[in-house]
Amino acid sequence: MSGSIGMPRERMLFELVKGLYDQLGITRHDIGTFVLNSNDFEVGHTIANVFEDTPVGAYMKDETHVDSEGLWATTYAAMRIMSGNYETALVVGNSSGASTMRPYLMMDYQLDPTIDRQAGLLNELSTAALQARAFLDKYGLDEDVLNQIAARNLRNAAMNPNAVQFKADATAGDVLESEYLYEPLRKLQCYPFSDGACAMVLASGDRAKELTDKPVWIKGMGNSVETYYIGERDLGSSRSAKMAAERAYKMAGISDPAKQLDVAEVAAKFAHQEPILAEALGLFEEGSAARVATDGLADIGGSMPICPSGGGLGAYVFTANGLVRVAECFRQLTGTAGDAQVSGAKTAVAHGQDGLCAQHNAVMVLSTEEG
Amino acid sequence: MTFEMGEETRIVQGMWDISTYQYMIDGRGMKLLVDSMKEKKIRGIKCSNCGTVYVPGPTFCRKCYIDCDEVVEVQDTGEVMSFAVEMADVRGNPVEEFKLTAMIKLDGADTWIIGTITGIDWKDARIGMRVKTIWVDEPVGSLSDIDRFEAI
Amino acid sequence: MRDVGIIGVGYTPVFVSKRKDVNISEMISEAVDAAFRNTNLTPDDIDAITYGNMETFEGVNMPHLWGADHCRAIDKPYMRIATGGTTGMSTLHSAYYHVASGMHDVVMAITWEKQSEGDSQVGLGGIVMPEAVCMAQFGMDLFGGKGMGAMGGGSTGAAAYQATSYLHHSGASPEHIDKMAALERSNAALNPYAHLRKKTTVEDIQATPFIAWPLRFGHTCPTSDGATVVIVASGDKVEKLADSVAWINGVGCGTSDPATGNFIEGQITDPAEQEAAKMAAAKAFAMAGIKDPKKEIDMAEMYNGFAHQSLMWLEKLGLCDEGQAHVMLDRGALNIDGELPTNASGGVFSTNAIGASAMNRPAECALQIMRKIEGGHQIPKKIKNAVSHGWGGMFQYVTVTVLGDEPRHG
Repeated sequence: MSGSIGMPRERMLFELVKGLYDQLGITRHDIGTFVLNSNDFEVGHTIANVFEDTPVGAYMKDETHVDSEGLWATTYAAMRIMSGNYETALVVGNSSGASTMRPYLMMDYQLDPTIDRQAGLLNELSTAALQARAFLDKYGLDEDVLNQIAARNLRNAAMNPNAVQFKADATAGDVLESEYLYEPLRKLQCYPFSDGACAMVLASGDRAKELTDKPVWIKGMGNSVETYYIGERDLGSSRSAKMAAERAYKMAGISDPAKQLDVAEVAAKFAHQEPILAEALGLFEEGSAARVATDGLADIGGSMPICPSGGGLGAYVFTANGLVRVAECFRQLTGTAGDAQVSGAKTAVAHGQDGLCAQHNAVMVLSTEEG
Repeated sequence: MTFEMGEETRIVQGMWDISTYQYMIDGRGMKLLVDSMKEKKIRGIKCSNCGTVYVPGPTFCRKCYIDCDEVVEVQDTGEVMSFAVEMADVRGNPVEEFKLTAMIKLDGADTWIIGTITGIDWKDARIGMRVKTIWVDEPVGSLSDIDRFEAI
Repeated sequence: MRDVGIIGVGYTPVFVSKRKDVNISEMISEAVDAAFRNTNLTPDDIDAITYGNMETFEGVNMPHLWGADHCRAIDKPYMRIATGGTTGMSTLHSAYYHVASGMHDVVMAITWEKQSEGDSQVGLGGIVMPEAVCMAQFGMDLFGGKGMGAMGGGSTGAAAYQATSYLHHSGASPEHIDKMAALERSNAALNPYAHLRKKTTVEDIQATPFIAWPLRFGHTCPTSDGATVVIVASGDKVEKLADSVAWINGVGCGTSDPATGNFIEGQITDPAEQEAAKMAAAKAFAMAGIKDPKKEIDMAEMYNGFAHQSLMWLEKLGLCDEGQAHVMLDRGALNIDGELPTNASGGVFSTNAIGASAMNRPAECALQIMRKIEGGHQIPKKIKNAVSHGWGGMFQYVTVTVLGDEPRHG
């Protein structure tokens, strides 16, 4: 299974965004502002958006570029509309993780160049492994929980036409048999390298209703960041995801997320990150990961479905991932998620992360109700 | 308010391995161009909607935002849109021979290319002056099949 | 529309070729601390932070995450913006929208560059590396100049073509570039935060060799290590927290196509046309209720990597008629004590920490409006309306910010 999209980035963006405009019956001239989203180190271009503008229709238009992950780009696009200056925005992010020969480098070059990069001990996998170990030890869990979480995501991913890594009947045993990438991380617990792009059109109130019968409303947004220094963080929990969620929930009027949210798309790059983030988002009680897995509470048919799309384990496009999570929530809330549909989903939460061990987190609450 | 630079702090070497990417570039327009150059001709793509002629041709028109694939031939004569004269390198050391390079719009194209113009004193160069392509004797289907440009 | 104003600016103590005494995050924290000092605010007063720089110039990805502690960003909403050369102003615009959206009230924008730590050739070359390799594969003699090419203009690149085209269309002469260069360097000599601060005459500029005619050595900008921090606040917070303010009345941005090095897809844009700049300026002026920029704008800070660009941008932004910028220069109108002081700070031409350069422009306008300029380049006349401009990418991105001493809306 290769994640490579097999066509030039510029062509990928043109076909994707043109398809979106055609779907909505608009042209590029109907977009007020373009918020592009990509990362120089990831796409291998200084000023990553230089050749992304014309393919998304931004030629001679109002355009800017967010270098944080997709959920921040979506937040910024929403802010531009909320200011009253624009009625519509296009947000588009792209990633070429599968076409990069050493994709982890994009993360490794985030290390402090003066000490950590020199010491050569910390990298994407070793830090994630530390986080996994911290989480398992904090709650006295063993890797079986992680294998169950991974298997669930791989099964969900099998129903997702965009997945790169999937297995329709995956079991914890399948995950157990995959080799360690960095103990305790097994290959099938880790995100696959993927090429991809995601584009969304945002619009203000009335304009949104003109463009579609089923707009999905952004009700709340929040993000937060922790210290860079891994040794100073409680890796078994996510302080910044918790704060981000609190901000988003406050804006959205969510006081009991577990009850009021119908589905969650959490940006977990590794199986162990899912419960850390889900608990930080208040979707499950802290430390309940084993019970959640055993009782199937995070299944599509469970009390709090997490990543019916297969999440980051199904496909992980580095910078655009947050956009994909929002897009998956959009599918759920518009009833277009096919076999992975959570029945009656009205309110969803999307999450995005940046940095090693999810140092930086963003949360967005979405709903079918404009209210 | 004067600033005094502190003591020099420790310096560590870092390496950024940039050669790890695998790029895909759409070469359709480039292939069309170099294939035509083998015949000492220059071909590009025209947008059927706005008529913009791109050399080399992209796969879509950036103005109309539609696919474009109509092949057109442009002349190998053209007009100078702008020019510059290379006189020194980045350190200020003068180069041996001044080189007159120009942004040239070939007749029929809406795009410009860079070419070196020989045979005139750089002081006589003018925006709007006409130039013609000097081809190599045996073109092989490469951008270097054009040797240089001369004023006409 | 919510009123948003700049209430404070913080610079690193100097902008120089090499800060050998601090690392990246330490350098940035100097500017952050300066911003707090200048406004008497503390980290608790800041609701969110936006951050920008060109990361390939130092080879550190997502430096805002490593530097989160140094930026006092812990536990705060935090966002990174990067748009090439115009990153500084795009980052400020992001801070502006954080407030204008109603989501936050007091936001800090942090921009910087420390090119001495990286390899600028790698950084710059990386913009078109894959395209260049492709062109070479199709037989392009990239730097030799034979055949059909895409790179030209020697070390100044397309800027030389832009300059020639500008001179031709405006009627200005190469000597006008020398004159503008001397004016801006002399302005910079009064600015303690400028990099190149030697008082310079036209003769000094003309003594420098041509790199690619019409551009001389003396027409090019330096590369600087430094950081700039700006704090913006909503109208009601301005009243509570600030003793002076410069209101952001208009913002605009425009993107054209990559004008150079875009050979593979066909280059249709003359780098001296700058349609995107006209578009961005029109938007910003309209938003600020400026109907006649030629009359109503009191000062300009243009993003000029090369000295001819100051003149070009004045015309493209509508601050004077086409072909008039050099006439204004000749009669002293662009001097600090003239009717349209241009780049009183010395511009990017005198100080260029790339990530910060486009934010230094509105920062300087704000300091001029608030009359808080340190050093000798305070413009004597009262500034009611100022325009700042940023430029980046491959001659394709333009951002414009219009500031005023009072909130004004179109």
